[in-house]
Amino acid sequence: MRPFHPIQRFLPHVVRLLVCWGCLTALMPAPPRAPLESPRTVHTQNPEVCVHTRLIDEVYEWKIQRSLQMVREMGATTIVEFFPWAYAEPQEGEYDWESFDRIARHAKNQGLQVIARMGLVPAWARADGSERATTLNYLPDDSFDAFATFVATFAARYAGVMDHIIIWNEPNLSFEWGYRPVDPQDYVRMLKAVYQPVHAANPQAVILAAPLAPTLEPTGSPNGLDDLLYLEALYAAGAAPYFDALAMHTYGFTEPPEAEPESTALNFRRAELLHAIMAEYDDPQKPVFITESGWNDHPRWTKAVRPSERVAYTVRAFEWAKAEWPWMDRLCVWALRYPANTRGYPDNFTLITPDFQATPIYYAIQAYARGWSQGGRLWLDPPAP
Amino acid sequence: MARPTRAVRWAALWMGVTAAVWLVVGLLLAVRWGSIERPSVSSRTLFPNGVMRIGIDASFPPFAVATGDDLYGLDVDLGKAIGLRLQIPTQFVNMGYDGLYDSLLSEQVDVLISALPIDYSRSRDFRFTLPYFNAGLVLIRDADQPIEGMEDLGGRSVSFEFGSDGDLVARAWLRRIRAFETRPYETPDYALDAVRLGISDAALVDAVSGRLYLRAHREWEARYSSVNDVLYGVAVRADDRELWRAVNGIIRTMLEDGSLESIIARWF
Repeated sequence: MRPFHPIQRFLPHVVRLLVCWGCLTALMPAPPRAPLESPRTVHTQNPEVCVHTRLIDEVYEWKIQRSLQMVREMGATTIVEFFPWAYAEPQEGEYDWESFDRIARHAKNQGLQVIARMGLVPAWARADGSERATTLNYLPDDSFDAFATFVATFAARYAGVMDHIIIWNEPNLSFEWGYRPVDPQDYVRMLKAVYQPVHAANPQAVILAAPLAPTLEPTGSPNGLDDLLYLEALYAAGAAPYFDALAMHTYGFTEPPEAEPESTALNFRRAELLHAIMAEYDDPQKPVFITESGWNDHPRWTKAVRPSERVAYTVRAFEWAKAEWPWMDRLCVWALRYPANTRGYPDNFTLITPDFQATPIYYAIQAYARGWSQGGRLWLDPPAP
Repeated sequence: MARPTRAVRWAALWMGVTAAVWLVVGLLLAVRWGSIERPSVSSRTLFPNGVMRIGIDASFPPFAVATGDDLYGLDVDLGKAIGLRLQIPTQFVNMGYDGLYDSLLSEQVDVLISALPIDYSRSRDFRFTLPYFNAGLVLIRDADQPIEGMEDLGGRSVSFEFGSDGDLVARAWLRRIRAFETRPYETPDYALDAVRLGISDAALVDAVSGRLYLRAHREWEARYSSVNDVLYGVAVRADDRELWRAVNGIIRTMLEDGSLESIIARWF
């Protein structure tokens, strides 16, 4: 009998291995899909409840969907999300809307309203990098029209889904203004460039002037400018006709929500000082959208509070705003969830973990939004000996 | 050739076994010697400035607190002990928590000893030593309570600080085991009071709060067990391999000889 050729000896083993590999591969779970559900609606007793999301950098679509499901289940009617210009128009006139579309369709599917924040300048619209260092927040004056064209295109594409559009973010910080000295007049020119084209593209659009960073930086500081001074400067430069609503950022830091506002203090009610400036310039009727707010409970951050205080302050802030601020349209908490932990104090601003575990503050906001906890106590009295 | 006698064979076997034993002992010694993380360079070379600059955030008692120009706390004692063993003076550089890693990266300090949770996601830039403290959640109960861990809480009651990690973990365990009563309080101390006063069966709090409470209530016969880990370590720059070997070796020695536990016992 002829001896087996080595290939003949090993062939059955190879075949068995291939069959095993095929079986194991077939058993591997498919990547999660994110099919649209039947259209949902938000059940809430407090429609002003809103949360800022961080969805644009999420890789998996199912995570976007899950995040938005949890927003709806929490009873929030609205999200604020960042839509970076550089993502959608990497080359002038060439658009890629995919990452924006998937957020829009899932938000709509969950019955959520979206406030879109615009920013992040593509390289082609920034100043020549060989002449001077630029950043992703650097938009030179001669690119305002290009930015306006992009925002108008966005407004037309997402009309009826994303009608509220925030123009830029915290322009009173040098960092957010491309590491240049902040310039309220320049920002008014940006608003002016955007306002008419966007309304022409979507007559229902609501242009929100950028929220200002709560800061006490004095005039001439290289870091930025006090938000009260900046807002005054905006009105003095004639900004009023070029925005339909004002976005605000108001954090509580270490003070409770009821703490008295002062021009030299940063606390939740600083929003009242900003609104007083609107009234001073005969503009109090414009709605205010607080697009970032909240408290932090990181044990090592000097501007943080205890976990129990964070929950209590947040719920009381909603109650305060609803009772005292008729000019306020939405109060959005920063932030629902980060795609991954930052391993620092910012993690302690979130309401759910990266793996979608709801934290106690999520449940407390849910109880408030859905009307389950009116007057209810959050914790027990101290034990008596 | 004549066959070796029985005595010669035994002698040869004896010599062979003895040689093998010495070889094994020698190998073990060599392995042990090699495993000790000792600096292959002198302390002077490790610290060209002639001093070990320690980055610390002195706003987190009992690990580090500042009073005037003085710093004290567990991390301060640990830093001094490491300096002593390296035979190098120490200099503490007090800064905010957010600036710690940047100051190390920019070589303003040589090491960070500041109750830093070991974070392997930073391993591209930093190396961490063995942990010297576990600040994770602990379950504290009366010494005579038949509760060994979270899985024994079914049908009992557990207190915690509302909104804390203890609250989060308790909610998660409610979905895993037989229902138990949750008792949220405003602070960890109130949660622990509830156990000490017999209102709750156990408290779920962070190890720092728990151990400080037990220190303040030495009359209470309680015991605690770890529920999860938040491990604190000393951080050095990733490219400072020799320094890491030196500090890590000292931490290991301090863990083995009990001197680390003595420092911890001083503050907890």
